[in-house]
Amino acid sequence: MAAPCVEQPKGGFSFENCARNSRLEQLGLKKPTAYKTGTTIAGIVFKDGVVLGADTRATEDTVVADKNCAKIHYLSDNIYCCGAGTAADTEMTTQMISAELELHRLNTGRKPRVATANRLLKQMLFRYQGYIGAALVLGGVDVTGPNLYSIWPHGSTDKLPYVTMGSGSLAAMATFEDRFKPDMNREEAMKLVRDAIAAGIFNDLGSGSNVDLCVITKDKVEYIRPHEIANQKGVKQGSYRYRRGTTATLSSEVKKIELDVFGTEVKHQPMDTQ
Amino acid sequence: MFLTRSEYDRGVNTFSPEGRLFQVEYAIEAIKLGSTAIGIQTSEGVVLAVEKRVTSPLIEAASIEKIMEVDKHIACAMSGLIADSKTLIDKARVEAQNHWFTYNEKMNIESVTQAVSNLALQFGDDDPDPGAMSRPFGVALLFAGVDEKGPRLFHMDPSGTFIQYDGKAIGSGSEGAQQALQEVYHKSMTLKEACKAALTILKQVMEEKLNSTNVEMCTVTQKNLFRLFTKEELENIIKDI
Amino acid sequence: MAQLGQPLSDYQRPHQVHFSPYDFNGGTVLAIAGENYALIATDTRLSQGFSIHSRESPKTYSLSENTVLGCCGFHGDVLTLTKTLGARLQIFEKEHNKPMPTPSVAAMLSTILYYRRFFPYYTHNLVAGLDEEGKGCVYSFDPVGSYEREVYRAKGSASAMLQPLLDNQIGGKNQQGYVVQPMPLDRCIAVVKDVFTSAAERDIYTGDNILISVITKDGLKSEKFPLRKD
Repeated sequence: MAAPCVEQPKGGFSFENCARNSRLEQLGLKKPTAYKTGTTIAGIVFKDGVVLGADTRATEDTVVADKNCAKIHYLSDNIYCCGAGTAADTEMTTQMISAELELHRLNTGRKPRVATANRLLKQMLFRYQGYIGAALVLGGVDVTGPNLYSIWPHGSTDKLPYVTMGSGSLAAMATFEDRFKPDMNREEAMKLVRDAIAAGIFNDLGSGSNVDLCVITKDKVEYIRPHEIANQKGVKQGSYRYRRGTTATLSSEVKKIELDVFGTEVKHQPMDTQ
Repeated sequence: MFLTRSEYDRGVNTFSPEGRLFQVEYAIEAIKLGSTAIGIQTSEGVVLAVEKRVTSPLIEAASIEKIMEVDKHIACAMSGLIADSKTLIDKARVEAQNHWFTYNEKMNIESVTQAVSNLALQFGDDDPDPGAMSRPFGVALLFAGVDEKGPRLFHMDPSGTFIQYDGKAIGSGSEGAQQALQEVYHKSMTLKEACKAALTILKQVMEEKLNSTNVEMCTVTQKNLFRLFTKEELENIIKDI
Repeated sequence: MAQLGQPLSDYQRPHQVHFSPYDFNGGTVLAIAGENYALIATDTRLSQGFSIHSRESPKTYSLSENTVLGCCGFHGDVLTLTKTLGARLQIFEKEHNKPMPTPSVAAMLSTILYYRRFFPYYTHNLVAGLDEEGKGCVYSFDPVGSYEREVYRAKGSASAMLQPLLDNQIGGKNQQGYVVQPMPLDRCIAVVKDVFTSAAERDIYTGDNILISVITKDGLKSEKFPLRKD
């Protein structure tokens, strides 16, 4: 029997209801759908660091669930990570790894390396055989310089100078393939990542709204959100304010609340000075 | 008249050197043997009147039907080989119903006539369409009805040719009747006048004495649509002629 | 409890993948019948999955001088259906010496759809035009030919978002003391722009532009209005 969920979980996932749920599915019950960030995320290495970029649309099937969500997650002061896939998975995974990295930093007294974050992420994702639906773009600057990785849900990773992920990855990668060159300056790099994300926003239906950027250099992180509001919200033609009383009141009743009134008196008492 | 035509009058698919299709012309001749039918179009509606040849006192006169309802708003009178008309009327009825089914509106009289004309033209020897025969139909039809263009009267002969008329007579007495129609017809004629005129003319051209059993008459109006006259109604008009 | 060593449900049995003759190409259409006008609007995005095929593909089709069809769903079926309708309208005009009236277009479309009862056209249809009295009329259809005359109706991808707004703004639903009266054309157009603008915020298959067509006794007039492009 499943115990009521009052105890703190000891760690790891609970598989308690797997048998029940698969039975329910066989009987025709639909699984609830998780938010997916049908997404465009991308990153490039430039002369002084890395630039990460993401759109801000979260979808639930064909409906936009969040028009301005944050897909660039904090891992440590010098490492950030863009997430695509199941929103809950990218969120929780980056938080868990962020905590591990912080512990690592406290234990070692050193700034974490990007390679370390990469290892932790891929080992966790591999352990769950792709069931954790997180596709990540990991970037940061450490003692070795700027580093950029892409990490797939099954745990494979690539270390590359420019990467894209998510449903808009093809649009973004097309932009990179066209215009990427090594050792770009900061402005060039930001412009290129913006253009890659914009390509995803406009050409991939799973991506949309704004462009977020994160520029990581040796001693500084600039998290720019939004970098650009690529799509302005439409302006309404008419006014849709309702007259007072538009909502029907079926019945109303005024009830008096019976109160017991207590009075408290505070008396001055002279201090005993004797 | 027909003596020299014998070489070219055997097939419906052979023109004579003078450019004539004799079988079709003979079919038109066949109409002239038929009983007389008259149609008059007025601004109020259309009237159709036909002669029934009750050649024996043993004939049940009511069983001779020469005016048929095609749809609520369309009537048809005929002369010639009445049996041939069955296929044509069937076609007209199916077309009218199909039009209503598909377009949710009444079919125009002209369109019904056109559809029947198409069938009338499909005679020939090889793989005929359903309903078509190897020879031309031996019947002429008068289509009367009301549609969005108002009251309409169409005549169609075995060649499939159809023309709109204000007044038209077909059958054995048609020549005299047509002449009489031209004299009596005027644009401001009422439907009542037209009914009386139709019976009067019929009376003139019929060999037998006209009475309420050997004629059939109907009107089609915007208000009452197709309506066949009862024996009593006929008698009421006949007594004034 | 799930037993250890047993494969998870996703892998439990092989699945046969069937060929599907249908696809969904998105798009939203909306029609409103006024006193002496009919209005029909469509977005211009044509998509498939997460891709946009065209940003300039309105889903309204002018059938005759005073009849417009709104048709979206599977674009292959839309093309075939509109082609068939065009041919049938021409044949009718030649056969009966008149253009087909809008109510007859609606009746005919119903028979065309029902003819394919067991392998339907995957299309959501609206017919807008003027009736015999010159009043605006809108007919809405299901994919197998059930149809009904209505005053306002949305069909397609964002229909579930538009319809409640129309119920409220045009039908006056859920508004106490609101008197429903004929809506002037300019206000009608403003409402249409606003409901589409709102739908484009949330429906990924609705966007780029809207094309608003207005049918009056003087003929057909169209206007374009921009929507979000993402």
